[in-house]
Amino acid sequence: MAHRSNEKNALGSRSEIILRNIMVISLIAFFTVFFVIPIIMALVGSFFQWNPLKLQFNFLGIENWKGVFTSELFWRSMGNTIVFAVAATVFRVILGLALSHALYSRLIRHKTLYRTFYYLPTITPMIAVAFVWKFIFDPQLGLLNKILNSDINWLFDDRYALIAILILTIWKDFGYAVVILLGGMYSLPKDCYEAAEIDGAGAWQRFWRLTLPLLKPTILFIVITSLISYFQTYIPVMVLTQGGPGTQTYLATYLIYDEAFVKYNFGYASALSFVLFLFIAVLTGISFKVSGKNNAS
Amino acid sequence: MKRKISMVILNAALLFFSITTTLPFIWMLCSSFKTNVEINSQAQNFFPQQLMLQNYTNVLTKFDFLQYFINSLIYALLITVITIYTSTLSGFVLSKYRFKGRQLLFTGILLTMMVPGVVTIIPRYSTMQLLGWIDTYKALIVPSSFTAFGIFMMRQACFSIPDEMLEAARIDGANEFYIFHRIIFPQLQNSIVSIAIFQFLWAWDDYLWPYLMIRTGEKSLLSVALNLFNGRYSTDYAGLFAATSIAILPVVVFYIVFQKRFIEGVSSSSLKG
Repeated sequence: MAHRSNEKNALGSRSEIILRNIMVISLIAFFTVFFVIPIIMALVGSFFQWNPLKLQFNFLGIENWKGVFTSELFWRSMGNTIVFAVAATVFRVILGLALSHALYSRLIRHKTLYRTFYYLPTITPMIAVAFVWKFIFDPQLGLLNKILNSDINWLFDDRYALIAILILTIWKDFGYAVVILLGGMYSLPKDCYEAAEIDGAGAWQRFWRLTLPLLKPTILFIVITSLISYFQTYIPVMVLTQGGPGTQTYLATYLIYDEAFVKYNFGYASALSFVLFLFIAVLTGISFKVSGKNNAS
Repeated sequence: MKRKISMVILNAALLFFSITTTLPFIWMLCSSFKTNVEINSQAQNFFPQQLMLQNYTNVLTKFDFLQYFINSLIYALLITVITIYTSTLSGFVLSKYRFKGRQLLFTGILLTMMVPGVVTIIPRYSTMQLLGWIDTYKALIVPSSFTAFGIFMMRQACFSIPDEMLEAARIDGANEFYIFHRIIFPQLQNSIVSIAIFQFLWAWDDYLWPYLMIRTGEKSLLSVALNLFNGRYSTDYAGLFAATSIAILPVVVFYIVFQKRFIEGVSSSSLKG
């Protein structure tokens, strides 16, 4: 920043050069070994019949890729994943908006306490929580059927299994949206609201005309990060349903996990993971483009 | 009057969601004091008939959960200390030093955050197999020793330290290692604590990689050991509830103690968006 120090910095003291070199070399080495090389290995491996247990590594050509696109289970799991990711994101954002807006209201006391409760599931370990929910969904003994006074076989009924996974996911994650949106609301300019109130805008109008448009960047941030992480959900499936009943709850990442670490089809699983990678990359690109346009206009 | 009604409705809605998020944990805790017979009976109360500590003693003695708990604790603490140190050091170098390729290096690190874990986990598994690191903690710790998220956050935090402060120290003859440990590190205390909390929780939450890497029972982590109760044929629910309580409750206590830090940390991490 300062011109004077720029020149001196370019030369740098001996300790600066040592520290800089150590860090640059470590960073390059680490990210090459654990990201660049694995990505290349996965790409190369997707053209091989690759089984680490049988020590197989035979060239297959594009067979794995052909297998991915002709596999019914793959398309099924992509369909499930899209439904799951979109639904979970929509609920997360809507609940987040509704509850943060309610918490923002001057009529509410104990804001911190509510916020503490909402954020609680987010910080707890997913694997342990999934085990608890497995029992909550139990048709005879579970808490959910008792409360709803229903008789639903949540995890083994075609109609409800994916909904059960959604319930767990939304329950665990909505608090994050509440906290972030509430933070966003507090950072909005106060005078806009005062002006609107003086002009006679009702609470509802203020929400739609002021809060929502002003919070757009925060909402987009939540939408994008949620979609990316929900495209990679697998732990609830692993614990609750193992993809069943039938193929109802096969999500893309669970399918990859299943192919890689249950069947040890590393080649095929690598091809699958690359398809998912490209899908997420395109999706992220589109989201950024859309949000860029909206911000410009 | 209208004000009163909206207040009641709003509070009722907010209360409903508070109950929703806490009830499963309370239920888990209550069930962990019940016997399997009581859990499996149709006509049970929400609260246990009597406080049975037997599930806990069972889990701790028969299944060695104390060992798994200690393993997880050491693992999560180690990962936190290492990543905080590497993130702060990287953040310092990437924000305060000017050198060719700095921006390129930083962009490259950020891009790795976009790569889904499933893409790299398969080749990493093979790499660990080739290195013979499977079933060692090296396999858990080395691949997590740097994190792109941590580097990003600490680099941001370093920008808040004025260059003049570092220049002054340099003129006084301090070398860079001294500057980093005695000036940068203490200055960034707040950011470091916020990020440390998250790193710790993420490490505590780690499942798939430890599951794939650690084969022997006594080295197992708590998250992986929960699988012991997920038998295909019989599920020891009472044991499972005690075990999940051991995995979850310390986190909840930790959260309640540091909750202000948590909320600040989350809010600030989203502002980059």
